[in-house]
This record gives sequence, structure tokens and C-alpha cells, in this order.
Amino acid sequence: MTVPQKKHLAACLVSLAMATTIPAQQVPVTETNLPNGMRLLLVERHDDPSIAGGWVTHVGSANERPGITGIAHLFEHMMFKGTTTIGTSDAKKDLKILAEQERVRDEMRGEEAVMRRDVRRGKISDLLKPENWTPRYRELQKQFAELVAQERGVLVKNEFDNIYTGNGASGMNAFTMQDMTAYFCTVPANKFELWAWMESERILQPVFREFYSERDVVFEERRMRLESTPLGVPMETFNAMFWEALPYSWDTLGWPSDVSTISKAQADAFYGTYYVPQNITLILVGDFYTTNAVALAEKYFGRIPRGANNPPDLVTLEPKQTVEKRMNAEVAANSQVEIFWHTVPFGHQDSYALEILAQILSTHTGRLYKGLVLGNGLATDVGAEQNSMKWAGFFDMSGEASPNHTPAEVEAAIYAEIEKLQQAEVPAEELQKVKNNFAAAEYRKLNSNMSILHSLIWNDGEGNWHEINEANAKRQAVTAADVKRVASEYLIKENRAVATFTRKIEAGTEK
Amino acid sequence: MKFLLSLVAAGAVSFAPNILAADIPDRPEKLVFPPLRYEPPNASDYRVPLQAGPIAYLVPDHERPLINFTIYIRTGSYLEPAGKEGLAELTGWLLTHGGAGTNSANQLEERLAFLAANLGVSIGDTEGTVGLNLLTKDLDEGLGLLRDVLYAPRFQDDKIILRKSQMLQEMKQRNDESAAIEEREAGFLARGESFFENRYATSNSIAAITALDLEKFHYAWFWPSNFVVGVSGDFNREEMIAKLEKLFAGGPENMEMDHLQPGGTPPAIPTQFNFAKAGVYLVNKPEVDQGRVTLMLPGIRRDSPDYYACAVMNYVLGGGGFSSRLMGRVRSDEGLAYDVHSRFPGGVYYPGIVSIGFQSKSRTVAYATALCLEELKKMSAEPVSDRELNLAKRSFIETFPRAFATKTAVADALAREEFTGRYASDPDFWRNFRAKISAVTKEDVQRVAQKYLQPDQVVVLAVGNKADIMLGHPDHPAKLTDLPGGKVTDLPLRDPFTMKAQ
Repeated sequence: MTVPQKKHLAACLVSLAMATTIPAQQVPVTETNLPNGMRLLLVERHDDPSIAGGWVTHVGSANERPGITGIAHLFEHMMFKGTTTIGTSDAKKDLKILAEQERVRDEMRGEEAVMRRDVRRGKISDLLKPENWTPRYRELQKQFAELVAQERGVLVKNEFDNIYTGNGASGMNAFTMQDMTAYFCTVPANKFELWAWMESERILQPVFREFYSERDVVFEERRMRLESTPLGVPMETFNAMFWEALPYSWDTLGWPSDVSTISKAQADAFYGTYYVPQNITLILVGDFYTTNAVALAEKYFGRIPRGANNPPDLVTLEPKQTVEKRMNAEVAANSQVEIFWHTVPFGHQDSYALEILAQILSTHTGRLYKGLVLGNGLATDVGAEQNSMKWAGFFDMSGEASPNHTPAEVEAAIYAEIEKLQQAEVPAEELQKVKNNFAAAEYRKLNSNMSILHSLIWNDGEGNWHEINEANAKRQAVTAADVKRVASEYLIKENRAVATFTRKIEAGTEK
Repeated sequence: MKFLLSLVAAGAVSFAPNILAADIPDRPEKLVFPPLRYEPPNASDYRVPLQAGPIAYLVPDHERPLINFTIYIRTGSYLEPAGKEGLAELTGWLLTHGGAGTNSANQLEERLAFLAANLGVSIGDTEGTVGLNLLTKDLDEGLGLLRDVLYAPRFQDDKIILRKSQMLQEMKQRNDESAAIEEREAGFLARGESFFENRYATSNSIAAITALDLEKFHYAWFWPSNFVVGVSGDFNREEMIAKLEKLFAGGPENMEMDHLQPGGTPPAIPTQFNFAKAGVYLVNKPEVDQGRVTLMLPGIRRDSPDYYACAVMNYVLGGGGFSSRLMGRVRSDEGLAYDVHSRFPGGVYYPGIVSIGFQSKSRTVAYATALCLEELKKMSAEPVSDRELNLAKRSFIETFPRAFATKTAVADALAREEFTGRYASDPDFWRNFRAKISAVTKEDVQRVAQKYLQPDQVVVLAVGNKADIMLGHPDHPAKLTDLPGGKVTDLPLRDPFTMKAQ
């Protein structure tokens, strides 16, 4: 047993131009690249006897195309279904049943094509309604159900999760975004090797069992997040309207027609293209020693062969928007307005000034709240944010209208606030307040192993993990003139899309 | 060093890894792990009864130049006078947004923002919480502002008007999300219309609240004898004790209130509630294509001797995520829901509610509900397997250190034990936790399942498209009317401003 070490992350301090700013705290990251191209990021931290471990693949819904939208996310779900040795009591029989299932599914896909044609010709309304299914399709469903029952005979249910849980892992989860897919959990400090075993196995030899019931699960997730919430589908529509060419125009959950037809073969091809070592970064934060960790990572992850091809680059650049776009929606929600402007992606030199601008506008002491909530009282809630993603970015402002006021009034008031920022530089004290908050956030983000892990996942996923330590200095260097310039350059009419939402049914009698 | 760490952790384990990939076993059971010993923090190492009144827990941690304060306050919405529902929430919000001491509301907020200090107050059903997180260099100024907020709030009229209008806006949305309807109606069914948890602010009750009400509510309860404090971060223990004594000395400064007696210790939290009659209850929300379902049963208090067996039982049923039976059956097998879970919380002041929850497309709501009931009955009918029992127990035992993963978590956990009285009644709760879990047997699990999971008492609440839910699915004969209770009771939507049935 070793004595817990007290390690100060404050080892290196960055001195900043302004004397009044708070020095930033660097995250001591060790970067190593395995021979197969996999990147390894390690942060030793000995306070808490645990390790937050995760990995990020540089693939998300932006790498999809119509027909297979939602596949990156569905794939993420499949990565919990086991490996050649985890999740089955008879690997050979298991693979045989899976192949048989695909044979039936192929035939079902043929029937689905017939039913889609019937939808196009107006013979049936909705593919999801059981009453609309053809007799042959129902027959095939029964055959498939029998094969699923057979599979259960050799299936070891959720064994991947059982092994982790029984070993004290916690918070095992994953997420899929436009630009990345990430998998993570926390293990006790003595279980580093278990983590390496489990994660390398599922990258090396995953088996996609229960594929079609999981597809239904994902459809339920879509219903829960988008279809059964008042703003879910309208915001999906707005997003689709905003992005012209970039594959950010569909939600990570995918279009309903696509989610319900994705095949296992498509998932296999997706895996072969994007889950290659040169497209993956491993990240570990916590109670381990770097030398040992590198050796173990090489042993377990080094055995995964480098992919024959690098994943294809995304070549589309969003064309310059030349006309304002507008959408008016009636919804079961408070009346509000949402405005998007095309701006810049992650790491762009203007992204820092845009982040500062967003902070100047948002928060309870920001321009929008002071102007629209406390000032003219047109709004009860407001917000502003710069979203810097890998392939593009957007600036978002929103406001909820006060009773007896309209989204149009809120919209006009937002433009009035923008105009002030375009005409005059922000006073020094106001700028400093915002910078102080960014500086303090540098410390707050180091709260736990998991919060550091997530910060590294996000920065690496968007394109450059070094930003975890470098972005703050760039934000601190932003001048009032920079803020004025980006407000003038990006927040203009031709560059924006506006959604107004008005309450459809008055909920009860308003007093 | 005494206060640096009381965790006896193995720390990073030194090992000489075998670096040959050829030695990788085909199954993880073949891996050998070094031992990891861990003992939870010892409350007495951190506990400081302040002369000013509060009990404080001080957990220094010099990793980052930040200090975090959490103050738990004996107050809550259960103390609101009838007809003034919303008073507790409004009071909490205005403490930090309504001006304090010599600062107007805007001055106070500007100063906090410039210091990048996060200060927030909220008052819930049975407690108030004040949180302050700031940079070490701003400690003295921050504590000055905190003292003003605690003892000299100004409750500015313009901010009262502002917050009231925001509360009305929030009220307007009460029927927009089916999740909100479900949560609210589940509360009514579980505890009864008159239980304090179910007293909601209305447009009338908000209108009835005056500045004087806010001042009185604050003056009654914000006394240091009602505080329990957790502090973690970059400070020296002795210096912090002196600062806390200064921070809390005295009490609310309000000359107009001097004729009033401070409330002292608040009256006991009510514990009597009425659990609804067994059966199926349905709120029609025709515009959604997914139904939300909650199944409920009366549960236990956390000091019940059955607490540990119930925790293990619940883990197997639906508390253990992917390793639970409900997840295996309803999600993995059938693909009927994204989320399905069960909960068996031990109530602090009165018994908690056992619940199962899921969301499924309207047409399969009845089938998924039937599956959940089947799994619930199975827990009583037959013992859990050795594998299930061990998995549940190992998970509780091995994840135990996570409860104290950060110094802030240590300070907050210890302060909560003090605040809720368990430190006084069961000071060794954490120390004994793993042994008690370890002692749970299969017989215990089946016994508590039979005792608490009684199918004829189950209350089922569904929120969604009634027509489609009642229609069911051609592949699955289950109907809601076949469930225990035999009939479906329609629950009307409530008017969001009066909370009366529409």
C-alpha cells in the first residue's frame, strides 16, 4: 500500500497579460501515441482511489447520410451488447443464430420496401402502425421472434454491464453527438487492468446482439426526447432549416424512417470505417502511475490492428447564407423566440471573442437580462451562447416573452441590444467581469476525475485536446474591439435564422 | 496532516504489468487485482460545534484556490401559512436577488458576478440550502456578502414583482410536458391531496404574498441554531473557524421584526399521508405518442431494519441499471422502453414510495406495465439467484467510496448526516454500511419483497394518449383493465393557475 500523494495541479501557472486576472490552472496531461495510431491521454490524480476512464471516437451524426441517420447513436448502444466471449454461453451457436436472423431480416426489408411504396402511393398511412403491416411481414416477424427466443438460450443478459458493476465500476455510460461518440465509467483504482481488458475487447471484437430490439429502444428514446416534448420536433425542424449543406441538419437520434430501417450490415460497415485505432483517443484520469498505465494500454489496445484506411474527411463547407430564414410555430409552450447565426467552428480565432460576447449578453448581470427582463420587461427569460463545433459553429440567442408581449417584440429588443454592441465598445469593467468568470471556471472544471475526463473528451472530440489548457489564455486576450468586431461581422440579418414559438392552446384560464 | 485526509485508501497501486499481449486472458475473471482498502471519513475529524450556533464540518483541500460553503437550514415549504403557497421558494430566491445589507439587488449581483462567486439559496419542502463557491482570494469579501444575505436581506419590491411574474410564467407550463404531469399526479396519488408536499403555489397564493410575509418567514427561521454547515477547499482550519464564528454571530438584523419572537426550532415535519386506493389512474394527453407510467407502493423509512435488504432487493428488480431484471426484460428483451427503473428510497422523515417507472409508445403501455407487474410478483414468488444477490452486494460495497469522491462531497455528506439527525441516532451508519449490505441473504430479499411488493396494493399512473393506450397492441393481449384494481380511473388535468381539476 502506498501513501496517498497530495498532488497540486497548480504546478504550472500561466502568467497572463492582465495583472488583475486570475492565473489559470493547467491540467498536467501526458500524451502518448500507440503504434497503431491510437492516442492516449493520461492525467495522474491521487486524491480519490478511483480512475475515470473513457475513450472518444471521432465519429458522430455528422458522418451519416440520409438513409442511415441515427446510426452513430444506435451503434453506441450496440457497443454494450458484448464481445465474442462476453454475452454468450455458446459463441458458435450464437453467431449461427445471428446469421439466421439476418436472413429473415433481409426478407423483412423486402416487405418494408413494399410497405414504403404503399405509403408513397397513399394506400397506407403510417409504417409504424401494426394494422398496416402485410400478412407476410407479420409471418416473418413471428419467425424472427422465434430466432430471438433461440438466441436467449445462449445469451448471457447484459453481461458486459454485470462484469463492470460487480467489480465496483460506476457511472458507466456513453453519448453520441454530431462530432463524437464517447464511452466512459469510473473504476476502483485497483481495477485499471479490468478497464483496459473490457474496453479493448469491445473495440477489437464486439458482437452486435439484440440489434433489432435495441433499434426499438432507440426509437423510444426518440419519442421520449423529441416527439413527446413540446419543443422537441419544432426545434428539430428549425435545425434542419438552419443547416443548408452540412450534415448537422438532422438530430443525433436520426429521422424516424431511417432509425427503423437501419440494418446490422450497415452497422458492421460503420464500425469498420470509423472504429479504427487511428480514429480513437483513450483518456484516463485518476489514481494510477503513468508509466504503468502506458505499458498496460500498449498491451491491451496495441493489439488492435490499425485500420486499412483512415476514415473519410468531411469535405462539405456550409455555404454562406445570403437571406434571412424564418419559421413560425404554434406549440404547447410559453411564447418565445430563438435566433441562430452562422459563426465559426471550434478553435477558430474568432470563437473566443464570440464566447466572450455570449457571456456579455447572458447571465443575470448580462445585457439581455438587464435590457429585456429588468429593463423594458418584454421577456421573463433570456439566453445567449456561442456553439463551436468541429465542422461549423453558430451563435444562439433566445428569449421568452412576458405575458401580454409577443416573440416579435422580444426579437426586436434582442436586435437593439446587438446594435449597441456593434456601435460601442464594451466598458473595461464589464469585459473584465466576464473574463473573471471564465478564469474561475478553469478551476471549477477540475472538480473531479470525471469532470476532467469529460473536458478532455469534449476538446479532443471537437478537434484539439490542448484547448483544455490553451483556450483560457486566448479568451483573456480578447479586447473590447474584438467583441465589437465579431458582433458586427456575424450577428447580421442575412446570416440568421429566426424561430418564433407562440402558445397554441391557452393552458387554463389566465388570471 | 491530521485534517488532510482521513481516507485510508490504497492509492495508486504499484504493479509491474506483464506487457505481452499474448498473456491477455480470454475472460476478465482470470485477471488478478491488487487489494484496495478504504475507510469512510470519520465525522469527528471534521466536526466543529461553533459558539455562534451552527455545527460545521470543515474539510480542507488545497488542490485548487476555491472554497465551497453549503449551509442547510431548518425551514421549508411545510411551514408556509395556508393561502401563501410559494412563500418559501420566493423567500429563497429573493435572499440573493433582492438586495442585502448596504447593497441594492443590482449592486449585490454585480459584485458577486465580478468576483465570479456563485451564491445561491433555495428553500424546498423540508429544508433550505445556501451555497457559496468562491476564489480563496475573495474569501473575506464573500463572507461579508453572505452574512448580509443570511441576516440582512432587503426584499426589494421591484424584485418581488419580477419573481412573481416569473413564477406565473413557470406555472403556465404545468401541463405542457407529460413528465411534469406524471410527477405531480404521482405525488397526489402517493401522499394525498392535503399532504404538504402537494400544496402548490397558485396565482392567488402568489398574489397574496406580501413583502412583510417574506420578512417574517425569513426572520422566523434564519437563525444560526437552525444551521448546519459544510465547508471544503483551500483554507486553514483554525482560521476558518474564526471566520465562521464571525459570519454566524448574532442573527437576522431587522428592526421592524424586533417585536416578533424568532421561531426557534421549527415544528416537526408532518408525517401522516394517504396512499391512494389500488388501481389504474390515467391522465389523457392526446398529443403525445409515448405514454409515461409510474407504478407505486408504500415503502419504508431509512432507519427501518429492512433498509439494507430492500436496497439489495430493489437493485435486482430495477435499481441496478442494465444489471436489473426490469431493464433486461422491458428494454433489452422487448425493446419497449429506453428508460425503465425501480426505486426504493428510505424516507428521512416518513416512509418513502416504492416506484417503477418507464416510457413506452402508447400502444405498448399496457403490455410493458403487465411485464413490470410480472417482475414485481416474481420477486416475492421465488428467491433471487446467488449470482444476482452477489452482483447487487458487490456493487454496493465496491462503489461505496464514490459517496466521498471529492472533498466537497465529504463535507456535504457529513453535514447532511448531522442535519437529518442520523449522526445523532446512528453515528456509525457509514462505517457499518458495507457489513450490513454484506449480511443480506436471499431469504431476507424474498421476505422484504413479500412484505413490501404487494401486487394488490399497486397504484398505476399513466399519462398519455388514452385512445391508443386503451387500444393496446395486436401482438400483446395485455390491457390496462386487466391489471389489479380492474378499472381505469380518469384523472382530469388541473388548471395550472389554481391546481383545481379542469
